[in-house]
Amino acid sequence: MTTQHATAAPAEKKMTQSFSRSVWAIVWKDLQIEKHTRQTMSVMIMYALVTVIMFNFALEQDLDAARRVATGLLWATILLAGTLGLSRSMSLERENQTIDALLIAPIDRRAVYAAKVISVSIFTFLLEAVLVFIFIIFFNKPFYYPLVLLALFLGTIGYVAAGVLITSMTIQARSREVLLPILLLPITLPVVLLAATAVSEAITGQPEMSIISSTLSLVLAFDLTILAAGFLTFPLVLES
Amino acid sequence: MIEINGLVKQYGLQPVLRGVNLHIKAGEFVTLVGSNGAGKSTLLRIVATLLKPTSGTVKIGGWHLGRNSHRVRRHIGLVSHQTLLYSDLTAAENLHFFARLYQLDDAEERVENALREVGLFARQRDPVGTFSRGMKQRLTIARATLHEPDVLLLDEPYTGLDQDAAALLDNLLRRESANGRTILMITHDLVHGLNICHRAAILSRGKIMREVDSSSIDAHQFLEIYTDLTRSKKKNSKKAQVNGR
Repeated sequence: MTTQHATAAPAEKKMTQSFSRSVWAIVWKDLQIEKHTRQTMSVMIMYALVTVIMFNFALEQDLDAARRVATGLLWATILLAGTLGLSRSMSLERENQTIDALLIAPIDRRAVYAAKVISVSIFTFLLEAVLVFIFIIFFNKPFYYPLVLLALFLGTIGYVAAGVLITSMTIQARSREVLLPILLLPITLPVVLLAATAVSEAITGQPEMSIISSTLSLVLAFDLTILAAGFLTFPLVLES
Repeated sequence: MIEINGLVKQYGLQPVLRGVNLHIKAGEFVTLVGSNGAGKSTLLRIVATLLKPTSGTVKIGGWHLGRNSHRVRRHIGLVSHQTLLYSDLTAAENLHFFARLYQLDDAEERVENALREVGLFARQRDPVGTFSRGMKQRLTIARATLHEPDVLLLDEPYTGLDQDAAALLDNLLRRESANGRTILMITHDLVHGLNICHRAAILSRGKIMREVDSSSIDAHQFLEIYTDLTRSKKKNSKKAQVNGR
């Protein structure tokens, strides 16, 4: 038994190392492509900027109303700009059928899922950093509070984890641009509503901690569930 | 090296492969020809572990695909008519990415050698999107052989190549074959396919209808056999249509 454990441990360690190296290779590749093209970030940030400026002008006469809807607007912008990032991330693998190169590589296919979640999350966090800065200027609300940032972090993970799974399901579909928001937005609505509630409460300055902890616990539960579902089903989704 | 036995693939009710049997020895270069829709690409995608068969078995190096796909993938290189390369990355970045994916230890050296072998070392820092079709295809060969696979699978590698680029690809493939790699190539170009291989097989109606040793037959004879087989296929389908009416 002891010998079995002794041989199993290095094998397990090797597998984990191999998995993390595969994940890092794909993340590095996605970041490198973004470094060359700057397509994902520029589209996401441009879309977000236009949306925020438009809303700001529309609500200029009623600043209080603008502040009240700021949290909803922040999440709506992240959601829609994030869809562009998700779509771009998987369309990279459609161009020249590079998805086949990933599928014939001797890697755990779940590594592709983990890598895509990480790289799209990085792009979305960068977008959120810009958005938080803009929202502080336009709406004069403390979006820099740690609890706000935590809610943004957890909400984004859930949104991206579901997004990568659904984008990979629709990658070969002819009408994928239409299918993605139709499938993604209803699924991620609960996590976004919960995260938005937590952000709304956190920016008040004197937040009700019970509300924040209960909503963030639910967001975390959603994240873990969707990540587990992604890890379990992603290889099957790719094969089909 | 590659053993395909009773391979069947159906898409819904539509059978594409109807019991393919093909055995390829280690170091052998086999060309598979067939008309459009004969199931060539489907067969290659199954051998490449990208598709699962409906029934039948494929063994590579004694390993059953399906149960051991993960193990087998390390020994397969795939060249398709799509480059499987990232247009926005440079030639060197593409190869480095695949070296990381295959977890090759001496990646730097391998990438440099591979680029020199396909004559793209001077263009290593250029994005692949700026390459000609011929250059892309050479880089594709470098990508597919970077991890020194035992088996090289080629799906219409001559598509879109001019004569010079095709001749260059010929040389690359001859060298890979001389290096002892087992090669299975699919092509529409019968003459080209026959000239370069050790053995040619004709896939028709989802089955291997004929196998010929390339040294025992000339291109003209091979063309005749191929035309007979595909013509009889058309005749049969017309007959079936008439009977159906």
